[in-house]
Amino acid sequence: MNADSVTGSFVLNGERKTVAYPEHHTLLEVLREECGLPGTKHGCELGECGTCTVLIEGVPVLSCLVLARQCEDQAIETVEGLESAEGLHPLQVAFADLGAAQCGYCTPGILVTAKALLAANASPTSAEIDEALSGNLCRCTGYRKITEAVDLAAARLRGEDRALPSLSELCGHPHGDHSHE
Amino acid sequence: MKNFDYARPQDVQSAAAALGKAKGSRPKGGGTDLITLMKSGVLTPPLVVDLASIPGLSGVSRLETGHFRVGATTTIAEVAEHPELARVARVLTDAAATTATPLVRNRGTVGGNLCQRPRCWYFRNLDYVCSKKGGQTCYAAEGENKYHAIFENVTCNIVHPSNLAPALWALDATIHVAGPTGEKSIPVADFWVRPEEDISTENVLEAGEVITGVSFAPEGASTGSAYHEVREKQSYDWALVNAAVRLDFEGEVVKEARIVVSAVAPIPLRLEACEKILKGQKFSDALAEAAGKAASGGATPLRDNAYKVHLIEKCVKNTILDAARRAKVRSGEPR
Ligand SMILES: Cc1cc2nc3c(=O)[nH]c(=O)nc-3n(C[C@H](O)[C@H](O)[C@H](O)COP(=O)(O)OP(=O)(O)OC[C@H]3O[C@@H](n4cnc5c(N)ncnc54)[C@H](O)[C@@H]3O)c2cc1C
Ligand code: FES
Ligand code: FES
Repeated sequence: MNADSVTGSFVLNGERKTVAYPEHHTLLEVLREECGLPGTKHGCELGECGTCTVLIEGVPVLSCLVLARQCEDQAIETVEGLESAEGLHPLQVAFADLGAAQCGYCTPGILVTAKALLAANASPTSAEIDEALSGNLCRCTGYRKITEAVDLAAARLRGEDRALPSLSELCGHPHGDHSHE
Repeated sequence: MKNFDYARPQDVQSAAAALGKAKGSRPKGGGTDLITLMKSGVLTPPLVVDLASIPGLSGVSRLETGHFRVGATTTIAEVAEHPELARVARVLTDAAATTATPLVRNRGTVGGNLCQRPRCWYFRNLDYVCSKKGGQTCYAAEGENKYHAIFENVTCNIVHPSNLAPALWALDATIHVAGPTGEKSIPVADFWVRPEEDISTENVLEAGEVITGVSFAPEGASTGSAYHEVREKQSYDWALVNAAVRLDFEGEVVKEARIVVSAVAPIPLRLEACEKILKGQKFSDALAEAAGKAASGGATPLRDNAYKVHLIEKCVKNTILDAARRAKVRSGEPR
């Protein structure tokens, strides 16, 4: 530990974590470098992309603009915390089912932002989903499938038995990302 | 990011004292602007004093005078979603709701929004030693100036980035400040510093002074207010032009009008010429149109931003119409 290192302690994905880090590091840096959790991504570093989003006390915020020093004793949740003993989180399953992730770079930030939305609103409209996710950029999907996946996960979390769209429906989607003849 | 000391005081007096001691030190609200400028090296404070954990500095309350007070570390999201503020200060909740993105609003604070630094790309790029950073040249004057000022742009062409500033001015708010020598209250109209007075800053705060909150009178029974902005994308973008309007009516007649803009000038600007057209007149769409036309009076656009001249006229007009409509709806409400 060098002279500029500090020791901090917070609750990371449900477990108390004590870690030494350079005192000027952002939460994003500490999560990836000192905590060994690379799920949360480095993007613009300026608050302009949302891929670094994590939940602090349940609220989605940009970890690239949060000083780790400020997180003492706070509850932090990253994409790594979504999976539980029962398996993947319904949001993760829905994203996989509907192909809502392509390169996947935006996905960790979108998943935790969506989790916070569903915690506050179990039945969001697609406009509400779009608004909640309007700070998360995606360069690949065109957003449509992301909105649909959050909607599907919300339905499943409410206990509804919603059928998956058929393959032809998925492929023929007018806003699909691959062009088909 | 360069290393810095970090302090987390538990009261405003200790914060002010710490800030007063180390030259160049900065208070921090949410950090959404400060940290970006520290990453790019434009700001290199030896000490960052975190206001976020000071008890009592956050939240919305009603004072004995009937005025509303919003604490400096209240988040923009909290303002945007506050049902009571939406009733008594709609211009402010509208301005908050259109600020940045949900993720920035969840962290960014009212105090930080008022004191955030301009987004001019020459100012934010360390390679350009522009006049605002102690150099001799405003690179925007001859350079890429699509997003720059069309008013009061003689010495410096930045636009003021804050959405909340014009809204609070339309409400005739007071800014409460604490510093090493005690507390003071500054009318929002007197908070700003023109580049010609001191190009290195945009407001009157001295070293060690921090905003503790803002306060304003609630809208009356015949008042309507609104904030509109035009931007390129639905989310993320700063305003190209904006307008904050508060109208007080006596029957059909406009008794008082306050019209303030920020995205077109280096500091927030009150458009008194537009207000004059409305005041004392019976309201009509034609009157709003005439006031909107007057909004571009005296504009001095640059090579790439003449489009703002047209936009500001439309934006002011539409915001006036919206404020008047709301006043009408309200006066029809049971008192
Ligand atoms: C993608 C993006 C889009 C954006 N779009 C908009 C927009 O459309 N409209 C808009 O208004 N803003 C916009 N912003 C800016 C955002 O609103 C500000 O970054 C935020 O409001 C700053 O608040 P903060 O608490 O994080 O400030 P900080 O980053 O903590 O501080 C900003 C500055 O204010 C000083 N400061 C902070 N608190 C105080 C205080 N209490 N007293 C005195 N000084 C203080 C700091 O020293 C610093 O210099 C955008 C930002 C991003 C990243
Ligand atoms: S890395 Fe882009 S917003 Fe944080
Ligand atoms: S899937 Fe590639 S950025 Fe969203």
